[in-house]
Amino acid sequence: MRSALIADLNKDMQKILNNISNESIPYLFLLPCLLILGSLLSVPLYKVVEYSLYDNVIVQKNPSFVGLENYKEILGDIAFWKATLNTIIFTVGSVIGHLIIGTSLALLVNTDINPKARTLFRSLLILPWIFTAVVVAVNWQLLLNPFGIINYGLDKLGIINEPLDWLGDPSLAMWSLLLISTWRGYPFIMVSFLSGLQSIPKELYEAAEIDGAGFFGKFWHVTIPQLKPVIYGVALLDLIWTFQLFPLVWLTTGGGPGRSTEVLSTMTFRYAFVNFEFSQASTVAVSILIISAAFTIFYLRNEKSRI
Amino acid sequence: MSKIDIKNLVKYFGPQKILHGIDISISKGEFCVLVGPSGCGKSTTLRMVAGLETISGGEIVIGDRVVNGLKPRERGIAMVFQNYALYPAKTVFNNMAFSLQLSRINKNIIDKKVREVAKILDITDLLDRKPATLSGGQRQRVAMGRAIVRDPEVFLFDEPLSNLDAQLRGQMRAEIKLLHQRLKNTVIYVTHDQVEAMTLADKIVIMKDGKIEQQGTPDDVFHNPQTLFVASFMGSPPMNLINAKTLKNGIKIKNLEINFKKSSNLKIDKNVIFGIRADDIRLSDEDNSGIPVKGFVNLVEQLGTENLAHFNVGENNFIAKTNARAKLNLNKEYSFNFNMKHAYFFEPETGIRIS
Repeated sequence: MRSALIADLNKDMQKILNNISNESIPYLFLLPCLLILGSLLSVPLYKVVEYSLYDNVIVQKNPSFVGLENYKEILGDIAFWKATLNTIIFTVGSVIGHLIIGTSLALLVNTDINPKARTLFRSLLILPWIFTAVVVAVNWQLLLNPFGIINYGLDKLGIINEPLDWLGDPSLAMWSLLLISTWRGYPFIMVSFLSGLQSIPKELYEAAEIDGAGFFGKFWHVTIPQLKPVIYGVALLDLIWTFQLFPLVWLTTGGGPGRSTEVLSTMTFRYAFVNFEFSQASTVAVSILIISAAFTIFYLRNEKSRI
Repeated sequence: MSKIDIKNLVKYFGPQKILHGIDISISKGEFCVLVGPSGCGKSTTLRMVAGLETISGGEIVIGDRVVNGLKPRERGIAMVFQNYALYPAKTVFNNMAFSLQLSRINKNIIDKKVREVAKILDITDLLDRKPATLSGGQRQRVAMGRAIVRDPEVFLFDEPLSNLDAQLRGQMRAEIKLLHQRLKNTVIYVTHDQVEAMTLADKIVIMKDGKIEQQGTPDDVFHNPQTLFVASFMGSPPMNLINAKTLKNGIKIKNLEINFKKSSNLKIDKNVIFGIRADDIRLSDEDNSGIPVKGFVNLVEQLGTENLAHFNVGENNFIAKTNARAKLNLNKEYSFNFNMKHAYFFEPETGIRIS
């Protein structure tokens, strides 16, 4: 009787132990990844937030804790608000540009043409995405230079009378930047939409055709609703990326002329590595972090609802 | 309602000829079924009538308009697709109303029409739902509703029942037939299922390899197959078909001789393919009209209302239909009566019937 009870108990213990080891195995596999991500992400993250609460960090040995003083200062600074506005213009403009160009090109390269030509066009159109930002920036600087080929071409076509300083003129710089950013970023949208387009059943278009829908009817009533989940996810992702985009802006206009194309990321860099005001830099960085985090939460929620 | 004339219709996919000159004439209000194995060109023909495939040669006339160059929407047709092709983002109501909305018809009229059709199809309570929440049968109804709402001159069905389970398929088949009796539209219906073809059609067109093998009423193609293919394709179980040699007073199938008074068209000492339906081979105990042949039963398939008895006479295998109540023992000899009045003979080389 007693031995049976002990055997039972033993069995139960075994079960519990088994359960624990079964449940912990997945975490074991995740551990290396979590450790690396944790140390590489959480430490700098913590540091940035910490820096933003001190004054004169890094440059002075004993920085003083100032609480939210830095934030107060930044929020009262007109340059910060100008940079925020520029960031919004740049981000929203870029994403709209990416969406329009990306969608149009996705539709174009999804058409039923010679398969070899189609593969060629698809490959060529992805190129902007492959180049590093530095190459893109230098190329566009050369193209948009007052003595560059774009000015030359426009002049020859009689559209302009004298060369324009696309990146140096405050009224043109943001537009030029949007052009470059659109060129650089559309392939991501194009590729994502292309795969989305290919998963739309052909019968839906045929049904729409029989129902009397023309090109725009089919686009509006079949393509868009079918792509909607992809559009939403991709646009949000693009928004998050573009919002923090630094190299393209820094290497083309450098936030200038003046501060006309200064965005939050270039502002952070300028504070940190031009002015050596790391506390202010951290404060701006934290503001980027908060806004990006908000977008990311939206994105994750959207992804979750799709699953 | 319109008549449809398909004249010498040809289709190439690249260099490959898919349709070799199809001629079909469908009168007003007729239910025409295109049937054949996959790849026979039946769906392509239908899609060419719909305007979803270009026409490489020939002419399609709906009513008295040549529609070759017309867009699908200008042809006065509505189509039901195999996988329904309902717009996933639209409610059932909007799925059905879409074509009317595109033609900018008054909202109240659209509402009235959609509800009318929904009532006919018994889907009124589904109108606010999205297709993803519907069962296969319900989707099928909505797809039909979408077609009916437009009040088209011609209905096109592309294997509409093949995604349904057997029971539902039978039920929907009957509903389509009833609906046609009520609406009296001209219909072209594509299927690979010969039972569907038999039960639905006013006219059956049997296709193979891009050609028409035979067209006619279900009764005609079933009882008067003009080719070996039609004979083997129509009917379940398929017709017994077997190589034979003609004798003076009958035929010889390997070592089995069947003596009967044969038609004068059957020359003596000629290789033919002999065909007889399972319905025309009965147990002698049940029906002793015809020529008795003794055979060993090696398999009995029970279909409920009747049984299919597979039996062999020497090296020759036949299938007979027997009464479900007849208890047959395996590997036992029984006498079967061949009703040679309903025997068919075909040329072995061409497959053409010798009548």
